[in-house]
Amino acid sequence: MLGGCVLPGTSVIVMEKISTATQVIEAPLLPITIDGRELLVPAGTTIFDAARTYGIAIPTLCHQQNENPVGVCRVCVVDIGQRVYAASCVRQVEAGMKVATSREDVRGVRRTLLELLIADHPSPCARQQSTGDCELERLASQAGLMHSRFAPRPAPQGKDESLPAIAVDFGACILCDRCIRGCNDIRHNFVLARRGKGYQAGIAFDDNLPMGESSCVSCGECMVSCPTGALTNRKVIATDLGEGEILAVKELRALEVFADVSGTFLKLNSNAIRKRIFKAGEIICRQGDYGSTAYYIVSGTAEVFLSSRMGHVTTKDDKHGLFRKLQSSLVNRAQQPRADETNRPYIPIDAPVDLPYENPVAELEAGDLFGEMTCMNQYPRSATVRAKTDCVMLEMLRNVLDVLQRNKTFRSKVDKAYRKRALASQLRSIPMFSSVTPDFIAYLRDRVELRRYVPGQIICRQGDPSHSFFLVRIGFVKVTQSHPGGDLVLGYVGRGGFFGELSLLGEGIRTATCTALDHVEAMRIGSEEFRAMLERFPEVHKGLVEIARQRIQENRTRVSSVENVPVDSFLAQGLMEAQSLLILDLERCTRCDQCVRACAEAHDGVSRLIRDGLRWDKYLVATSCRHCKDPLCMVGCPVGAIRRRNSLEIVIEDWCIGCGLCANNCPYGNINMHPFKVSIEDPAAPGRQVAQVQTKATACNLCPDQEEPSCVYACPHDAAHRVNPRDFFSDLVRVADLPTGRASAD
Amino acid sequence: MLIDRSHRPWVAFTLGALVVGGTAYVLYSSFSVGGPRGGSPLGLVYGSLGSAFMLFAGLLGARKKLLLWRVGRASSWMRGHLWLGLLSFPFILFHSAFSFGAGTLTRTLMVLFIVVFVSGIFGAVLQHFMPRTLTERVPMETIYDQIDRVRLQLVDEADTLVKELRSTLAGDLSGASEKQRATAASAGTRGGLTYASGLGASERGEKAVADFFQNEIRPFLLQKRGPERAIADAGQASAFFNQLRVLVRRDLWPKLEDLESICEEKRQLDRQRRMHDVLHGWLLVHIPVSYALLLLGAVHAVYALRY
Repeated sequence: MLGGCVLPGTSVIVMEKISTATQVIEAPLLPITIDGRELLVPAGTTIFDAARTYGIAIPTLCHQQNENPVGVCRVCVVDIGQRVYAASCVRQVEAGMKVATSREDVRGVRRTLLELLIADHPSPCARQQSTGDCELERLASQAGLMHSRFAPRPAPQGKDESLPAIAVDFGACILCDRCIRGCNDIRHNFVLARRGKGYQAGIAFDDNLPMGESSCVSCGECMVSCPTGALTNRKVIATDLGEGEILAVKELRALEVFADVSGTFLKLNSNAIRKRIFKAGEIICRQGDYGSTAYYIVSGTAEVFLSSRMGHVTTKDDKHGLFRKLQSSLVNRAQQPRADETNRPYIPIDAPVDLPYENPVAELEAGDLFGEMTCMNQYPRSATVRAKTDCVMLEMLRNVLDVLQRNKTFRSKVDKAYRKRALASQLRSIPMFSSVTPDFIAYLRDRVELRRYVPGQIICRQGDPSHSFFLVRIGFVKVTQSHPGGDLVLGYVGRGGFFGELSLLGEGIRTATCTALDHVEAMRIGSEEFRAMLERFPEVHKGLVEIARQRIQENRTRVSSVENVPVDSFLAQGLMEAQSLLILDLERCTRCDQCVRACAEAHDGVSRLIRDGLRWDKYLVATSCRHCKDPLCMVGCPVGAIRRRNSLEIVIEDWCIGCGLCANNCPYGNINMHPFKVSIEDPAAPGRQVAQVQTKATACNLCPDQEEPSCVYACPHDAAHRVNPRDFFSDLVRVADLPTGRASAD
Repeated sequence: MLIDRSHRPWVAFTLGALVVGGTAYVLYSSFSVGGPRGGSPLGLVYGSLGSAFMLFAGLLGARKKLLLWRVGRASSWMRGHLWLGLLSFPFILFHSAFSFGAGTLTRTLMVLFIVVFVSGIFGAVLQHFMPRTLTERVPMETIYDQIDRVRLQLVDEADTLVKELRSTLAGDLSGASEKQRATAASAGTRGGLTYASGLGASERGEKAVADFFQNEIRPFLLQKRGPERAIADAGQASAFFNQLRVLVRRDLWPKLEDLESICEEKRQLDRQRRMHDVLHGWLLVHIPVSYALLLLGAVHAVYALRY
């Protein structure tokens, strides 16, 4: 301890904190006077530290003990008997220095500074509202500042809530740079910096990106460093994790994945993570359930599997004559292969592994994370997970998951696990890579890079030069193509899907724009590696060229059809491409809904028809799943069980888990959930069969086996017709000589 | 049902039957001694035929319940319902010799029959013209039962839209669109402009949008039925929105147009509800009175033949 008993001119060993490193130095003691008290302090000590050592408090905003002082806020000014007041946090003591820290004139200067700062502070700021410890507001209140004489800045600074764990209110920022020093000097992440000048000055993430799109690793250092409500913790509200043990910060930081995260930040988020212990055989989560958490396996092994019957809905006409009734049943692709059957060998799920179609069971081990899509994007659980041995898991909400996902250690683990376990199965699920050799997988394993994208972020833009090929690991990517008439959604690429090959094989220019629809993680293969791969594996090259040729042809046909058909909208194009359509003549239809009732009667009480949809002239195209410019039904399927044929018709794959998300997403209600009584193995008691009602998604196929669909037969007003769209619309256009572009979307 | 060329065979049959029946009636009434009577052989023939036509017309209700029975297309039954139902009226008049009868039962029967006949004609006319009018005047039509749901969806859409609009006007990055974020992100490289430059603040515009939404649009969208609001009139609504455009930046006009479109959809839903009620309201009279007519007609037949 330093004290007054040490004689002037002698020296002592003192601990001086410089940045984050503590150095032991030897320094002479200097006599100074602070507020009339004669003191001895080691040379090199700042006035602020000297005062603090002797219990004299000097207010400050930009300085905190674990950071290098920069003296930007000037709130710590003191009078040292010179021409101007000095910032005590940066000014070092000098022998004989006389310091006044709380004289009226010094307090007046401080008060003016606080008044200037508080002028455009959104008081009470987020920090003051939640924890009541905004340092600026506390100092202003202590100085008796109820309001400022100065006008606030003319334009509000805005907010940034793109990161789940941290909220940014630029208006509350006082430019103290504590966050910048925390990010760069303490954590060495180098994400934060200053931008702009004067009124336009502020903090910026990377190249002035929204925080969620920046390279921020969510360590929370900036947030715990911030003296005001500019950077605050976003708690997940209205979500109770319920079961499980709350972990102490020490326990969390003992885990490798949380080692780099700020302890204060972890403490603030302690409500969002629980330690769960599952006994062998216990169900951890069930497929189709909605949830908001992800699980990280600390120890033990878990089994992940699909508990629903494999099969798609088929409808048979097994009775004839007067009492004719259609019967729906489930058949798998071996029993009834459909047109464009993909024969995909693996089912993508929300875990680091894919499930084989023939036996959809896999194992998860310590270090694995599952349930990311449920947690981040609120999709239903894709599979049932059961503890195979006694397991210890961490169940977490999205703010903690985001911290994990941005953590460098964890990302490298996920990256490694993905390359090791899922990359091969994902590649083999793509037809052109289905026969890849282990040699090829090994080649690729070291050449892929895991990238994250936030909702709305453009991954690649149509017309830009092409640099990479992508394999989607998590989330959905929207693929759109610009046409003179507007954007056309070509599809949604989910887990296991890929994009970017066309441009790499072609002229090197992107042919479509790909946008992250939700939180997306994709494996990126650079163009050089991609080309090297093609050179090394000619059979893959051949397959890719064939696929690319087909896609280019499809695109050309589609574009030329759009240009050549009598009506120039995609709606008409969609109608023309369909095999058959149910149309309702709206000038005849009295909206009695007999067609809907007949459809329900014919399909075990489940109607596949809703009298709504797209309009073309006086016709309503009632069942119009193949007409969507933007097939929203394809977004979010947790197991990727919904796709479009080349004819744009919707196909539900055998591994549909019946969660109903596609039916909810379809704006036209054209996807229905059909219940079936099935006998399956009880997930909670392996080996025991239980009867259960399971649902499968199904869409109207216009009863192709029937001479006339029930809906048409039951229409009393002769308004419903099943037609061949090409003949029907061509005749209509020829007869009526309709002008182009008469189609309209309802 | 639209009465078009497909009805020609039925029209021919109806006219033929009417001519034959009418000629026979004229001859019969001219030459019968006591004048035409329902109880006479020819009168009973008219009564039987009229009843049979009525019965067939009444069976449409049963046909509608047995949706999957392959007993002829429902549209054929509907045509039969229309034309045979129409034909039953003159045949019953021939049967009753254009008299309402002396007894209470026969008089009641005739009154009910006229009600059914007139309501049926009224309904047929409505069903001929109104679907076309509905199609033309309600292009944003939805399923009748879904109107309330769609209305609430419109409220949600409008809430989101106004929230976006207001936060944009208030310069709030969290509520900004992707384009604005992109502008914001690139702003630092353009002459010292900050991310907020893509958002800009307009306190006056924000207040005007908030007030108009809370006081006019939202109550209108929430209103199921009830007194008409000013915004329920397309002309007045347009004037309101034009005033709002003066206060809001030009690049935000598309959002105002979306809001205007939501109001237009609500107006159309209200119109659809009114038209649908008219289109199907007459059935509340036609169907129960028809059943009563068939029931009392059976009683009349038994009573007349037995006594």
